[in-house]
Amino acid sequence: MSTMPETSAGTASGNGAVAVRNGRKQSPLDAGLTWLDDRLGVAKGGRTFLDKIFPDHWSFLLGEIALYSFVVLVATGVFLTLYFVPSAAQVVYHGRYKPLDGVKMSAAYASTVHISFGVRSGLVIRQMHHWAADVFIGAIAVHMCRIFFTGAFRKPRELNWIIGVTLLFLAIVNGFLGYSLPDDLISGTGLRIAYSIILSIPLVGSYLAEFVFGGVFPGNGDIIQRMFILHVLIIPVIIAGLIGAHLALLVKQKHTQFPGKGRTEQNVVGSPMFPTFMAKTTGFFFMVAGVLWLLGGLAQINPIWQFGPYIPYKVSYAVQPDWYMGWLDGALRIMPSWEFAGFGHTIPFEVFLPGVLFPGLTATLFVLWPFIEQKLTGDRAEHHLLDRPRDRPRRTAIGAAALSFYFVLFCASSTDLLANFFGISLNIVLWSFRFLVIIVPIVVGLFTYRICLDMAGAPRVGKRKRAMVVLRTPEGEYYTVESEPRPGEGHEELEPAPVPDFIEGIAEGNGAGETEPGVRRVGR
Amino acid sequence: MRRPHLRSLLPAGVVALAAVGGLAFSLTAGAVGRSTSVQTAADSLTPPPIHYVTHFTTGQVKEGEVLFEANCSTCHGTRAEGSAVAPDLQGLGPATVDFWVSTGRMPLADSSAQATDIAAFVASLAPTAPSYPDGIPYVNTKDANLQLGMRLFVLNCAACHTITGAGDALADGAYAPSLHRATSTQVAEAIRTGPGNMPVFGPGTLSNRQVADIVAYVTGVIQHPDDRGGLGLGGIGPVAEGFVALLFGVGGLMVVAFWLGERA
Ligand code: HEC
Ligand code: HEC
Ligand code: HEM
Repeated sequence: MSTMPETSAGTASGNGAVAVRNGRKQSPLDAGLTWLDDRLGVAKGGRTFLDKIFPDHWSFLLGEIALYSFVVLVATGVFLTLYFVPSAAQVVYHGRYKPLDGVKMSAAYASTVHISFGVRSGLVIRQMHHWAADVFIGAIAVHMCRIFFTGAFRKPRELNWIIGVTLLFLAIVNGFLGYSLPDDLISGTGLRIAYSIILSIPLVGSYLAEFVFGGVFPGNGDIIQRMFILHVLIIPVIIAGLIGAHLALLVKQKHTQFPGKGRTEQNVVGSPMFPTFMAKTTGFFFMVAGVLWLLGGLAQINPIWQFGPYIPYKVSYAVQPDWYMGWLDGALRIMPSWEFAGFGHTIPFEVFLPGVLFPGLTATLFVLWPFIEQKLTGDRAEHHLLDRPRDRPRRTAIGAAALSFYFVLFCASSTDLLANFFGISLNIVLWSFRFLVIIVPIVVGLFTYRICLDMAGAPRVGKRKRAMVVLRTPEGEYYTVESEPRPGEGHEELEPAPVPDFIEGIAEGNGAGETEPGVRRVGR
Repeated sequence: MRRPHLRSLLPAGVVALAAVGGLAFSLTAGAVGRSTSVQTAADSLTPPPIHYVTHFTTGQVKEGEVLFEANCSTCHGTRAEGSAVAPDLQGLGPATVDFWVSTGRMPLADSSAQATDIAAFVASLAPTAPSYPDGIPYVNTKDANLQLGMRLFVLNCAACHTITGAGDALADGAYAPSLHRATSTQVAEAIRTGPGNMPVFGPGTLSNRQVADIVAYVTGVIQHPDDRGGLGLGGIGPVAEGFVALLFGVGGLMVVAFWLGERA
């Protein structure tokens, strides 16, 4: 590897001189790479890639959980396509699961039961796929929180923020589609709700719904094939493409970093892609895959054979969507029943507002946030150094309030379970949530704001306690003294977190000195 | 140095993956080989799907009278004629009484023999009204059809008791209880007598054959679900799954990230 990039990039000469180059013998690997470089010129881009600097902060690994979950999703998803039959055609199931033996059901449902019972390791793969979906979207959410609370979305990274939000919503949609594929009783109920949501759109709703489903619900059966092709091909390809763009932009714009010794707006401090980060991230990939495998093998998820096939006129109580749809389901549940009727039309606001307008508004606000913040603060400068959340009390308070808002809605999607669990009336639970959804975000927001101010005001926050050494006098009396700082433990040298606006000036002045071994610093 | 050694990470990851994978595979692969045997209670020798016991011995009636006097008469009156605090029980039929007592809805729980005795006593007081089943149902689940049972259960019962029988809150403070403890006789009694907020399913709605199918499904599949695929999460669906995914999946991986990365 060592001779590859620089020596080969310039000379694009002989096809014959593969094994011997610049008078030196090459290893087969070098020879192969040289051959490629002569034709594609990959060395230059490869160099940029291998030299990419990754700041070592743990919160920068959150996006990677999402990335690797997606890899697991694709791998397990491909396995599932080998057995899944995307068809609503009615078949009679004959298989290992006796309670369904001889029952008429859709081919989609029958094949999912078959994957779970008849295909070797089918169940563990199916469960891994589903757990990976849950973790994927969870990781995206946590990653997004990191970006939000540290202000990493500010100029010049607004575009990548928008790509990220798009990825979040695509992932949610794809998760819902996948959840609906097996055509079991619970997912069928979810699909029926989706149908009514489309139906509630003023003017075009009924046409749109019939167009999507191929007729009045449950339609002519085409919906399964349509969802299938979206789920396994179209949306994953878009997601993969956007992930590519997301990462390409990251390489191009370079990472942000937390302020600290030797870190300025003009440089990036961290480990290079190769070899340090590569080793770390490969290990991390195995960890993600391992955890998902563990979940897939040890914890049951979506036991569709217990639910039975979907039949439109059947319902089960206690139907919830996957967690990432919970906020929508909660909004639907606690919405008071308002309806507009007039001019020969009925607009069911009770469905339209929480089912269409609310997610639409959410997506719009998420996408526009960087620009909204620019408007509010008037700060249009480039930022490569991150904020500490406490230094931005207003943004942090808004974010915390928003999080608590969606969390309350998420909890509201299990109103019936809560009523059952705490033994209180369902109507009381419902009404409590209508109040909570307004009160909790306000309280959380104000509380967070207060805490931020207090924390920012406290001197030397985050200072490490020194070890205490216990000594004994000749008389037998004990006393303690603070130990000397150990080498490399120089935390007290850290500047207290600077207020971001003035960072440039301060950071410029200090820390031109040494960094840790293995850590590299490059300019922007 | 607080950071883990880089070179040790890769092998550690691979070993962890292999160990975890092997474990998971062996657990679920085993499941494929097993074939499902659905438990059917071989309790009845009588051919009809449901055998209603209508006749009781005088010994049972005597026993029941003593028990009723001691446990029930304070509220329901000595002749079960009702009082200001509790309803009249005359004419309810033995199935209703047996159900309310044997499921623990009325004080005195446990022994189903005692419940039968009390039912015998109450039945001896007045003839059963036509709207109630005449006798305590004993269900023969041996010849029952589980597939039909599932269908009928989903159609008639799942709306309240949920598809896994876990039970759920209904509107206005009513609850459909979990079906995981009821005996075959109690399930049939519930269907036929409609306790509390549950509707009555009379012979015109569900034949004895169909009731037996439902009972077989409840006691066989609902109470003994095929929970392959690891830890069943209580049959309450995606909410529990979401917590596991976020807590153990995302949370666990965040801990790993915390271990891998810098913290300052
Ligand atoms: C503490 C007072 C009390 C005692 C003791 C009591 N019951 Fe009850 N019982 C009630 C009340 C109140 C109801 C009505 C409950 C309801 O409708 O939810 C009731 C209802 C019933 C019913 C159902 C009536 C119907 O219309 O469906 C039966 C059967 C019954 N009791 C039998 C018994 C038996 C047998 C005993 C003795 C083991 C007993 N009860 C002891 C208060 C009592
Ligand atoms: C309208 C809702 C509803 C439907 C439909 C319904 N149930 Fe119930 N069920 C209830 C309620 C409510 C109770 C609790 C009654 C009480 O204790 O007051 C109950 C109680 C029971 C019990 C007693 C459980 C115990 O251990 O205490 C059984 C068994 C039962 N139901 C079986 C069934 C079966 C089988 C079906 C279908 C044929 C069915 N139910 C349909 C609402 C319903
Ligand atoms: C964005 C990434 C993806 C998400 C969020 C996702 C999510 C899901 C979910 C939640 C299910 C339901 C699983 C269950 O039955 O419990 C599912 C099913 C399925 N997925 Fe995916 N998936 C993704 C990508 C893929 C890809 C890339 C493929 C194939 C190439 C695929 C193939 C399938 C198939 C065939 C099923 C139905 C079989 C079954 O349910 O067992 N998925 N998906």
